[in-house]
Amino acid sequence: MARVTLENIRKSFGTIEVIRDVSLDIDRGEFMVLVGPSGCGKSTMLRLISGLEDVSDGTIMIGGRDVTRVAPSRRRLAMVFQSYALFPHLDVAGNIGFGLSLARTPAGEIERRVRDVAERLSIADLLTRMPRQLSGGERQRVAIGRAIIRDPEVFLFDEPLSNLDAALRVRMRLEIARLHKALDGVTMIYVTHDQTEAMTLADRIAVINQGRIEQVGTPMELYHHPANTFVAGFIGAPAMNFLDGAVDDSGAVTFAGVTIMPSQPVSRRGRATIGLRPESFRLAGTGEADLVARLDHVEPLGAETLLHFDTPLTVRVNDVVPAVEGDTLGLVVDRTRIHIFPP
Amino acid sequence: MERENRFWRVVLLFLPLSVFAVFVVWPLFSSFWYSFTDWNGFNPDYAFVGLDNYARIWTDRLFYGAIINTAMWMVAAIVLPTLLGLALALLLDRQIRGARIFKTIFYLPICLSAIVVGQIWTWIYQPDWGLLNAIISFVAGEPFTHAWLARPGSALWSVIVAWSWQQTGLSMVIYLAGLTAIPSDLLEVCDIEGATPWQRIRRVVVPLLIPSTIVVIALSVINSLKGFDILYIMTGGGPFHSSDTLAMHMYNESFKKYLMGYGSAISVVLFLIALVIIGFYFRQLKRIDEIYG
Repeated sequence: MARVTLENIRKSFGTIEVIRDVSLDIDRGEFMVLVGPSGCGKSTMLRLISGLEDVSDGTIMIGGRDVTRVAPSRRRLAMVFQSYALFPHLDVAGNIGFGLSLARTPAGEIERRVRDVAERLSIADLLTRMPRQLSGGERQRVAIGRAIIRDPEVFLFDEPLSNLDAALRVRMRLEIARLHKALDGVTMIYVTHDQTEAMTLADRIAVINQGRIEQVGTPMELYHHPANTFVAGFIGAPAMNFLDGAVDDSGAVTFAGVTIMPSQPVSRRGRATIGLRPESFRLAGTGEADLVARLDHVEPLGAETLLHFDTPLTVRVNDVVPAVEGDTLGLVVDRTRIHIFPP
Repeated sequence: MERENRFWRVVLLFLPLSVFAVFVVWPLFSSFWYSFTDWNGFNPDYAFVGLDNYARIWTDRLFYGAIINTAMWMVAAIVLPTLLGLALALLLDRQIRGARIFKTIFYLPICLSAIVVGQIWTWIYQPDWGLLNAIISFVAGEPFTHAWLARPGSALWSVIVAWSWQQTGLSMVIYLAGLTAIPSDLLEVCDIEGATPWQRIRRVVVPLLIPSTIVVIALSVINSLKGFDILYIMTGGGPFHSSDTLAMHMYNESFKKYLMGYGSAISVVLFLIALVIIGFYFRQLKRIDEIYG
């Protein structure tokens, strides 16, 4: 159980600064997800925390201890890599017990602890198998087993599910969430570019863009109160709709030729970018449409339907819509869920 | 279309296959045939002698000496370049200053022909003015004139050193390629798990270099079995057959004593030894492939 604190972290490779003055406080036992597009610096941040990369400037504290210049093995953390990083020449037991054998732990104790971890991860019957003989999900569990056997205070996950197929990813996501509960109080820092993983796993999410933290908050805070268009566009699938618009002196919002009075007061005045989630619309009944748009494409997903309009606008409705491409439909905007951003 | 393709395939394969047939297959089968004859290498008249040449091998004292020398030669020619190549690769794989220059320097000898290497080392071993004795004299503070290549006790080992000097560069390059292929996250696991540099090499790097080691050893075995030219130029198998290997012995019997039939029988034995070793190599390759993919 350890609190992780990053204070004014900077990291440069040559003249390129990839992490720019990042400060972040991760509570003990918290599941923090670092999310962002490819190349935003989230994996670098994880590597800085692990000690695999040295910071150019700033301080990293784990459990109240300054570990900025401490070797990775002395930071009391474990890391699960995207590629699983299993040793091909060692069997499952050898991989899980690798760290213990390096520390010259007695063979009997290694065997007992490996079996214990393997049973917790339901891979006890795979202990004599070689990594090559395992499926992706099994390899992932072995990698997690190697991490948890060390009793770390902090778990680092570097995109651990990105090599798995969609169905397995959902299953492993659940298992990681269960693991976090089972490991009671272990701090987890999880890097992903997949916002669904971020939303479903995180206690809090840090959205990273170009080496900076754009916003930190709970999944719902980020979803409902994004700080800027980047966070608003990154969190949520399909992405939030952005429309050029303006806010007049009375606080009414105008976009796509429509003027609407939001239910909450708006502080910004003048030109603005109006953000509307796909579910912030409903199909209009007779005479109640806020705006009318031509349907460009329909994506029936079973439980819901995505309607793509030529405005351009994406709308999510829970019903099966009998409309076809080219139809003109009326839409009503949810006044409580209008986001106003600087233009 | 398919027929036309087949035609061109046959036409294009014809030339290399003919060259292969004339320069490899035909001499190979000729050797087999001559090993059952008493041909002297010149006389068109020769007789079929059955297994006489092979029976003679059993009573040839020099053959046994050559077998022992070949075994020593092979073991040393495998172990030394492999270990030295691995050590150099591990040293030069790190981001140390001048690594690139050192890599080039260590690789350079493999670009020289064995004759040139043999000649260079013959000079180095020269008893009166050779570099080695000069260094020993300087260090010992008194004249040292050991005839390295003219003493039965040191001749073979002196050639082995020269051979290793030449072959180490090749092993080093193969190991460097192998080191590059080791996924960096496996080494990072070592950092996180707290492996010491020695544990990292012994428990992770060396096992992950097994595919490279198999290639290095295979090349060393094949090259050492063929190792004739450097021995020929440095010792000629002497003194008193002390550096006679099978290849050298075969050459002496065939081209110095004009016993081409007997020489062919020795070459067939050498071929069979190579076949067994290469067969073992392929079996190991299959096993390695199963583990490392």
